[in-house]
Amino acid sequence: MSKPVLGLLLGGVLGIVDGLSAWFTPAVRAQLAGIVVGSTIKGLIAGILIGVFAKKFNSLPLGIVFGLAVGLLLAFLVAFLQKGYYFEIMLPGAILGLVVGFATQKYGRPAVQTAAANR
Amino acid sequence: MVDHPGSGRFPVTRLSAIIGTSSPNPEERRRAFEALVSAYWMPVYKYIRIKWNKPTEDARDLTQGFFAEAIEKNFFARFDPSKAKFRTFLRTCLDGFVANENKAAGRIKRGGGATILSLDFDGAEQQLRIAAPPAANQTDEYFEKEWARSVFSLALESFRAQMLAAGKQTHLRLFERYAINAEEEEKPSYKDLASEFDLSVTDVTNYLALARREFRRIVLEKLRELTATDEEYRREARALLGVDLNGLAV
Amino acid sequence: MDWLSDKAVYRLREEADLPDLGGSKYMVLHKLGSGGMGAVYLAQDVDLGRKVAVKVMNIADSTGALASRMMREARIVALLEHPSIVPIHDVGVLEDGRVYYAMKLVQGARLDQFASGAPLDLLRIFQKICEAVAFAHARGVIHRDLKPENIMVGPFGEVLVMDWGVAKVLGEGEGESPRGPGKAGIELQGFDDADLTATLPLASGRESGDTSSGMVIGTPAYMPPEQALGKIELLDPRSDVYALGAVLYFLLTGRAPFDSTPTADAVRESTRKPPPRPRQINSSIPRAIEAMCLKAMSERRADRYASAEEVTIDVIKFLDGQPVSAYQENVFEKAGRWLGRNRFIVLLILTYLIARLVVFFSMGR
Repeated sequence: MSKPVLGLLLGGVLGIVDGLSAWFTPAVRAQLAGIVVGSTIKGLIAGILIGVFAKKFNSLPLGIVFGLAVGLLLAFLVAFLQKGYYFEIMLPGAILGLVVGFATQKYGRPAVQTAAANR
Repeated sequence: MVDHPGSGRFPVTRLSAIIGTSSPNPEERRRAFEALVSAYWMPVYKYIRIKWNKPTEDARDLTQGFFAEAIEKNFFARFDPSKAKFRTFLRTCLDGFVANENKAAGRIKRGGGATILSLDFDGAEQQLRIAAPPAANQTDEYFEKEWARSVFSLALESFRAQMLAAGKQTHLRLFERYAINAEEEEKPSYKDLASEFDLSVTDVTNYLALARREFRRIVLEKLRELTATDEEYRREARALLGVDLNGLAV
Repeated sequence: MDWLSDKAVYRLREEADLPDLGGSKYMVLHKLGSGGMGAVYLAQDVDLGRKVAVKVMNIADSTGALASRMMREARIVALLEHPSIVPIHDVGVLEDGRVYYAMKLVQGARLDQFASGAPLDLLRIFQKICEAVAFAHARGVIHRDLKPENIMVGPFGEVLVMDWGVAKVLGEGEGESPRGPGKAGIELQGFDDADLTATLPLASGRESGDTSSGMVIGTPAYMPPEQALGKIELLDPRSDVYALGAVLYFLLTGRAPFDSTPTADAVRESTRKPPPRPRQINSSIPRAIEAMCLKAMSERRADRYASAEEVTIDVIKFLDGQPVSAYQENVFEKAGRWLGRNRFIVLLILTYLIARLVVFFSMGR
């Protein structure tokens, strides 16, 4: 599959998993559904952004840094909207961004091949 | 002896000295015996000293006596190449001769009053002193080894003479330096020789190749002289040089 | 007459023994070793100015069969143009009637003398050996005498498979003497395997196994059972596969799978008693590699890899971290292999989980 699609899928799945992990925090358990939805959307957006980046730029270090940055930024926005839990949201968010950044660089069909396959 | 057509590279094929001992021509007979004696006297002498444990004087007399009798009674005519190697035959004759002399109440027969050739017994004795004696059950191998030494020594002598006569002193010196005089375990490299002799490596390679070829030819020539048939010659060539010449043009 | 020392006699003998390459463009420098049907010498190509190795026949050949054998060997190898098969430069007949051929001078160590390296490095070397043999098989040639002594490893890790003296061109000489183009596409004189039984000895005494029942060609320590029993007609690419397995065994354990004493009984003995499994000798050998080795060395031909190419594929798969056909992984081994290949991702996931834990505990305060 192409890198953007991989990014999207991975971001979405990790977003769901990350959202579900909120269940372990009793304080926010009641809002679990909302957290999961929000986390998933965050993951999908981050995933597509990182995936497109990976399609355009073939560099593992750059991909990782970009993923980290996107993950951090989106997580910050979410925390900002929540008006709290900055550390608890941004740390995992950054790491997951990193994971997607790495995965989209290493796996997924590179741009040239996709173009050739679509011809 | 078979003349090999097309072997123009080789000089006149030497007659086998063994066959030559039965020649009707007395000059040929003399040459033949001379060739055999010069090749075999040293191994015979050493063999008598080592195996029969005879003191120097007795060994000398026995050596001379053996060859004298060999010539007189023409032992070598009895040699049958299909039965054994010439060397084995000669050793058997020698053992028989010495045993007989032992039985003849210690009376050592002298060779008709005249020595056949002036043989350097002192030199042989010196060699015996330097080298370690073989084990008691290895006298046969010892004889073989001494025979090989004898053949190579004679070949080397002839080689030296021929190279000098052909004006190839450098070739000769190179060959000796490379093949004989090296004290080191490893043979000197061509590069080392080139600087030692102030020659190019190419020259060293070429000179050695030529010298080697000539030496080999002379060794094989000597070998042919000391064998009775082609079959025997090939066998000996294989034994001496590790190469079987069966079916080959040599 | 000057006295010659033992050493001098030995040296003179060596010099006289050197073949006269006078009629060719090669000049002999010194002997490198002996094996197969002849001795190998270091020589100088006078025209091109390079050093080559020249193999000169040195065994009894009253019928001329050996001369044509050597010619045949030269022609077979000349056909096999592959980076891991030693190239033949020239073939000819010396003035004294002996056949010779000149080949690339290989600098390096024989595999059996090669210092043992990391398992992966050894496996990469093995891969190159398999590729060379696979190439030969694709050209219709089986080697029949693969063993560490016939494999050289160069200073840059290049591998050369040598000594194709008993190689066979498939489709030729199977109970008959066909003439005409062999599978390799050139005309090779039909060579009946019966010639192999008639000519003695093919190799120097230490190499050939002399059995009373038919001639054994090759080396007992590395030969497949069908070859050890002298059933030359059964030899096919899978025989080479067996030998490859034996070479792998040697690489893994540092010893040959079978005793190399070539007595008839030992040879028959070796076909019944399997060697100890590699992991019994060295437990750090991965199971997948052991499985590959044992599959290649199966007593029954049908159980082996069908070709050297299949062996190559499995070796490449292993080096790539993929599962190999010879070994069925269990779930844990699969997971372990996946984890080995994807260490970074695993690390990241662990980091995420740790971060989650940290968050959990910090929120719990």
